Amino acid sequence: MRSFVFCHGLRFAFVLILLLSPVCTLGAEVQIKSDTIFRLFERDTSSEEDATVLPGYEYLQVDAGELEDYGVSFHLYGWGRADFADNDYYKDQTAGELLYGYLEYRQEANRFNAKLGRFQTFAGVANDAVDGLYLGGDLGDYFDLSLYGGQPGALDSEQGRSGDSIFGGRLAHHLGMHYEVGVSYKSIENDNKTAEEMLGVDMSVFLPANLNLYGFSKYNNETDDWAEHSYELSIPVGSVIIKPYYQHYNYEGYFDTGANAVSPFNWLSQTGEKLTAYGADALWQLDDAWTLGAKAKFFSYDELDNAETYSILVTWQGEGLTQYGGEIGHTSANDTANNDYTLVRLYGYCDAMAGQFWLDFVSADMLLTFYDEDIYGEDSSFFLSLGAGKRFLNDALSITLSGDYSQDPYFDDDLRGMLTMSYAYDK
Amino acid sequence: MVNKSLLSILTLLAVVLLVAACAGLQSSYTPPAKHPSAADLEEVPKVCTNCHDARGENVAYGRYVHTADFGTSHRPAATQGEAICAMCHQTSFCNDCHATRVELKPSLKNQTETYRSAPHRGDYLSRHRIDGRVDPTSCFRCHGNPKSARSCKKCHG
Repeated sequence: MRSFVFCHGLRFAFVLILLLSPVCTLGAEVQIKSDTIFRLFERDTSSEEDATVLPGYEYLQVDAGELEDYGVSFHLYGWGRADFADNDYYKDQTAGELLYGYLEYRQEANRFNAKLGRFQTFAGVANDAVDGLYLGGDLGDYFDLSLYGGQPGALDSEQGRSGDSIFGGRLAHHLGMHYEVGVSYKSIENDNKTAEEMLGVDMSVFLPANLNLYGFSKYNNETDDWAEHSYELSIPVGSVIIKPYYQHYNYEGYFDTGANAVSPFNWLSQTGEKLTAYGADALWQLDDAWTLGAKAKFFSYDELDNAETYSILVTWQGEGLTQYGGEIGHTSANDTANNDYTLVRLYGYCDAMAGQFWLDFVSADMLLTFYDEDIYGEDSSFFLSLGAGKRFLNDALSITLSGDYSQDPYFDDDLRGMLTMSYAYDK
Repeated sequence: MVNKSLLSILTLLAVVLLVAACAGLQSSYTPPAKHPSAADLEEVPKVCTNCHDARGENVAYGRYVHTADFGTSHRPAATQGEAICAMCHQTSFCNDCHATRVELKPSLKNQTETYRSAPHRGDYLSRHRIDGRVDPTSCFRCHGNPKSARSCKKCHG
């Protein structure tokens, strides 16, 4: 395993140097962000009860080139994990993923954008990692087009990459601040078998009186059926915004992703279930600091009985990222999930410690859950997280220590610690 | 056959729109590559609409305001306005939730950032038994491919 990781690391470094070389010769800006995380907790393993688990994570992000303006740039982000404890809690002692790594060209005229490498694409029906090429830009005043093609990043572990492909795009038409309508298409093949073939329509309609209508529909071309309809209206009434919405999901079209289907979702496509959800969110911005909110959502099924959720929330926002808030919600799902629960959350983040007690920020998060029916003999959960941090080197380095405690149906007394060191280099 | 007809109609529509658009190639509104940083601004605004109109000349900034429910309602804005999101957020920010595969859930990786919306806070292992049955479509968006479903595999096989 270690030699496998080492070989892949060498190959990755070689590709990185190749991709970075044209960018670096331009003498452009370089930004590096590193998050190093150490966690400490106890878990039962195959040979030991309450064995210590000590994973270390590195999240590394590199951006180079024209970062503040249009031009050529390179972007890379990925994570790796090593377990420093000698046990089998993790299946593999090391793990990692390159989330993206691509060379990009952005041109101000026509917003032309090209990406080469691994990138995440959000284009209508697509929310996928692609190893390949992306091209996008405006086609005149009223249209824009994005196209992508290559191999799907999510499938490289499934019997190799041979026969895997992804391609698609989105064409949008927009008329100023009146509307935008997009049509999108995505096709994924896994080992030469069709995994997904989706078509989508998305829209924004900007109506009079600041009313906005947003919508998205997805059609599964393999199952020959609509997968999803989601439509939402945004209604401002003074300082209150009300958002009623309607969603409809056909499980066969939504979950049947062919050779791409995975547990625990693949069987859902066989149930013949159709879910209709509707409800509304309402947010009342009292002033610059206070927000009150309420949510209600109703679920109606063809096969199961109905379910519903309600919640209210309050937040207070101060300077910087300082925020305090609370939320209480109830999910009534006794006929669909054999249980109901009530969730209470209180949280706080103070960004204005200004060195008091040698700290720059502190955080707290508390969740209480009450279950109507016992889960493994327990009818409630209690979770508490506390954290504190200090910034150094003109805020380039921050060190955060946090810990959480949980008493719940799965763990009697679970205590976990975490040390995070974040460093940002900018030149 | 409905699917083939639909595909043909959409392809034809795309070609027609493409030809129409290419006939008058001009640059429409191009947002700046980056939003001015907090250091560049005299007063750091809390929301987009402190400076921009909710329905501006070129961009409906109101839809990008990070309200208390933005974590669960940003999909239409992000799908249609990726360039606006990119003025402040790099893809790595989205990748905390929307990624090929991550091992740490967002509320754990950013444990002290309690001001950020994260659905799996606290004892979600217990709550997911209920949420997952009520609305599995929301689970599927982030855990629906072979790599991202690895976090489900330990128990669900």
